[in-house]
Amino acid sequence: MSAIKRLFGILWSLMGVGIVPLVIMRAMEEIGKKPSEENWIFWSIVIVVLMPIISFSLITFGVFALKGEYDVIA
Amino acid sequence: MARNVTNVSQTEEVSSTRRVIAASSVGTLIEWYDFYIFGTLAKIISEQFFPKDNPTAALLATLATFAAGFVIRPFGALFFGRLGDLIGRKYTFLVTLVIMGGSTFAIGLVPGYKTIGFFAPAIVFVLRLLQGLALGGEYGGAATYVAEHSPDGQRGFWTSFIQTTATLGLFLALGVILIIRQTLGVETFADWGWRIPFILSALLVGVSVFIRMKMSESPMFAKMKKEGKTSANPLAESFKQKDNLKMVLIALLGATAGQGVVWYTGQFYALSFLQNTCNVEFVQSNMIISIALLIGTPFFVVFGALSDKIGRKYIMMAGMLVAVLSYGPIYNSMYDNANLKNKIEVVAKTTVETKEAVKGTDNITTTVTKKTFEDGTTYKETKKLTVPLDEAKKAELAAAGKLKPETKKETILPENIKYKMIGLVLIQVIFVTMVYGPIAAFLVEIFPTRIRYTSMSLPYHIGNGVFGGLVPLIATRLVEASKEPGYSNPLTNLINGVTGHIGTPAGQADPLAGLMYPILIASVSFVIGMLYISNKTNNMDVE
Repeated sequence: MSAIKRLFGILWSLMGVGIVPLVIMRAMEEIGKKPSEENWIFWSIVIVVLMPIISFSLITFGVFALKGEYDVIA
Repeated sequence: MARNVTNVSQTEEVSSTRRVIAASSVGTLIEWYDFYIFGTLAKIISEQFFPKDNPTAALLATLATFAAGFVIRPFGALFFGRLGDLIGRKYTFLVTLVIMGGSTFAIGLVPGYKTIGFFAPAIVFVLRLLQGLALGGEYGGAATYVAEHSPDGQRGFWTSFIQTTATLGLFLALGVILIIRQTLGVETFADWGWRIPFILSALLVGVSVFIRMKMSESPMFAKMKKEGKTSANPLAESFKQKDNLKMVLIALLGATAGQGVVWYTGQFYALSFLQNTCNVEFVQSNMIISIALLIGTPFFVVFGALSDKIGRKYIMMAGMLVAVLSYGPIYNSMYDNANLKNKIEVVAKTTVETKEAVKGTDNITTTVTKKTFEDGTTYKETKKLTVPLDEAKKAELAAAGKLKPETKKETILPENIKYKMIGLVLIQVIFVTMVYGPIAAFLVEIFPTRIRYTSMSLPYHIGNGVFGGLVPLIATRLVEASKEPGYSNPLTNLINGVTGHIGTPAGQADPLAGLMYPILIASVSFVIGMLYISNKTNNMDVE
């Protein structure tokens, strides 16, 4: 079980890192297509609020899991 | 004799715990009521406080303000959580109640955009932030306070009463709004009647403050303070020490994020879906949600108590899993039951009425079309076209493509379909009770008393405020995006494949597109929760 937890740690970290360029590229594409106020508001909330929380927490959590910090908590 | 003394002592303890629960719950319920009347009246608030030129922008602006109310919650959690761990639970959540009540009352008094222009949305925005800040401090305090009064082995049961308050707060908000709207009439309510639910808050908060003033400090915190063992810096201790940070992360990713999206999908998004996607009439859609909430609420206590017996984890995870697997079919069924394309129209009963009137400098043409269907469904479409009398202005608006009628669609479902809708929403409320009923006990048990208020408040409010609170905004956006050419939604494709539907025609919104966000978040949360959370029951060291 510990091995699976650690292995998944890599996945969480990669998800945390991968989400940043994906979201930014999507935002640029959408705002570029239609630079409306509603588009700006929506993507600002996603990029400034949601994305950093998801990214930071997944990366940190993944690193902890990879290091075996959650092996014992079980 | 000794047995009698023990019995009396136990009876007194239960009675005291009940008083604590009642006093804490009433205040928390009122805070939720205050918070949710804003969300429930989002459309009216958008008309009152934001420019009307673009209705979608106005609605999104309101949702953004709504989101701001949610996004600010984690900051309230940090600010008041720290205070609660430093000076005590009782005074901290008394302050949050006063801030919440004051800002709600003030929203009811702010003049509209027509009267004071840009100041109107700006003031409402600030007041909404204050609401979010107060709520961020309230819940953690109430949950901690109740948990610290609860005996071992019954923490899930007692804290589940605090868990009912969010749903009952929403129920109260819907109920008060419906009663006032029905009493005053639709037009008066839209004009000024919507202010009453906000102003009423002052009275409710006054009563609650009075009750809370009489409460004593949490015994665990009081003992710790007396012994000088309270934390000197709860923030640093909660988030800089690896052992606590680890638990904050697991609470967020494995529990509250998934719980947050299930909560907001099952209650708020269900209402938004009924009103905006299924076009179910305002009163009927609110009745459907209210009845489902009322029937579902006792299940918070059922699952809270059950978590004392079989553990918190499996109940919460089961709730997430069934939500992920069944949202598609549930929402598909809701859509199909309200979809007029699936119904046979009684053409002989169709009526069209057109009225023209001059109001100020505009000519207003109102066309009302009423249709009846064989299953008893009735449909009313009101198109209101406002054309300036001034020819130059008229030509200018026509050139800009702004001479379009405002369209309002209202479907009233027959009784049998209404009950089916209540059933479909109730299933979602049951999922909510599974993920939410045991979560207060789960959160208080994974953090020590000295930093509990701070540590449990942050993951709770990020999970609910940010992940959950953004469900309406992101889901609305996903539905809009589904109109684009080349759009493909795996969930809709799967459902269409299973049910044999032909899918959404190009250019039309995919009604199920909004579900992708809660399903994705709840899925990740489920996997993390299953892998990394233990199935503790109640034997934690609360000290």
